[in-house]
Amino acid sequence: MRFNPGFFLKEALKNIRLNLLMSVTAVTTTFVCILVLGTAILVSGHIEGIIGSVRQDVSVEAFFAPDATQERIDEARREVEGYPEVSEVTYISQAQALADFKDTFRDNPEIYQDLGSDVLPASLAIQIEDPSDAEAVAGKLKSAGFSEENLSYPQQTIERLNSVTSYMIWGLRAATALFLISSILLISMTIRLSIFARRQEIEVMKLVGASDGFVRTPFVFEGLLQGLVGATFAALLVVWFNYLFVDWAGTALPFWPISSSAVNAFFVVVVLVAVGAVIGVLGSFLSVTRFLRV
Amino acid sequence: MIRFDNVTKLYGRDTVALERVNLEINPGEFVFLVGASGSGKSTLVRLILKEIEPSRGAIYVKDTRLSSIPRRHIPRLRRDIGCVFQDFKLLPNKTAAENVGYAMEVTGQKRRAIRTKVPQILDLVGLSEMMDKYPRELSGGEQQRVSVARAFVSQPRILIADEPTGNLDPETSVGIMNLLERINRIGTTVLVATHDRDMVDAMRKRVVALENGRVVRDMVKGAYADEV
Repeated sequence: MRFNPGFFLKEALKNIRLNLLMSVTAVTTTFVCILVLGTAILVSGHIEGIIGSVRQDVSVEAFFAPDATQERIDEARREVEGYPEVSEVTYISQAQALADFKDTFRDNPEIYQDLGSDVLPASLAIQIEDPSDAEAVAGKLKSAGFSEENLSYPQQTIERLNSVTSYMIWGLRAATALFLISSILLISMTIRLSIFARRQEIEVMKLVGASDGFVRTPFVFEGLLQGLVGATFAALLVVWFNYLFVDWAGTALPFWPISSSAVNAFFVVVVLVAVGAVIGVLGSFLSVTRFLRV
Repeated sequence: MIRFDNVTKLYGRDTVALERVNLEINPGEFVFLVGASGSGKSTLVRLILKEIEPSRGAIYVKDTRLSSIPRRHIPRLRRDIGCVFQDFKLLPNKTAAENVGYAMEVTGQKRRAIRTKVPQILDLVGLSEMMDKYPRELSGGEQQRVSVARAFVSQPRILIADEPTGNLDPETSVGIMNLLERINRIGTTVLVATHDRDMVDAMRKRVVALENGRVVRDMVKGAYADEV
């Protein structure tokens, strides 16, 4: 059979215009479904981003007790410098720690106003060559007399993050799955309803000698257009959300390594629009097939 | 052109729609299929279109046994059989011209051919003024003429009309019948299922009478009832 996309596209556009309410319903349903999917991608993208950047962290901090003698500090420092994994060790005195702290919060002086110079502990800031050695170095520090509470290394952060985020991620996954399933059902019901209203048309087309493909193609085009429109709007909104979130996190959550590079906006748009198109095509293809047996 | 070979059609287990029907319609014939409602006329028409399958026996259209046609080739069969229905079965969202054009569109004909042929055929059925009207804007007789135009536009060898005048007043019915006769005169085989007694009596064509699913009479130049 001669394939004439112009004819089918015209038919599809005409059908959309004539069944505007149904089209709006289908587009809206796709929009909501893709929006949820997109939000889920965003959240998991940022969580992955945070965990990833913590993993890349190559610094371990070892804090000294307030009553540690200079002798003890020098001894510890010499020992740490001897570890093969370590590239650099910097001693941060109590005064230095306070200065750094003041520098971090220079915009909010009320935080450090009443802080005495002996509140913050002295520490060793240890740089490691390879981030995967962080845990091994932490182990050696423990056998050198530092307790768990006096150490700060990436694995601790990851464990703490995991304990919070694992519930969040699972909840999110469950919600997304439920939402996706109900959205897909809703979309296929919407399309089926719209096609059911036109089943007599389909029957007539078949009786006039139209092949299944000929009858189906305008419907599939229609579904494709609806899916594309709904998904495009949703994808743009998701990307905008992401932009707002990263912007907000930059000021509200300064210690969280949230960056716009955790989520590739272009990739997200492509994936979401593609999913929308697939849902539209598949939904209309399957729904119309049920009415083709004439 | 159309041959029924001992055809029986049952609906469910024991509702007999057609029983041992033997019928041969030759190329170029004009045949009336008459009988009361439920006598099996529509079943016979639907069997020819391969909308349903016979329970027993064989049906041949243009020397091809229908049961040997795979499902995907049914459209090809139907393109060679023009069809007119009691309820017109026009596509509501298409104008008269688009409805007729659709029948050419499905056979993959060129846009230009459609654009020249459709006005010609609508002119032939006397609707050249109504080309851009939608079915709801047309009277019953006009709608039926559109559906005859659609059935005939791809010049099928066979034209089947199932109660084409069932929803029309007598005067309009005559117009439709004249149209069908003209189509028959240029060589198309025409089969008309009807219970329009006056029409059948007036036309003096071959009449096949069905009663409870059996062919009870088959007369050349016949009438609706046994004797007139």
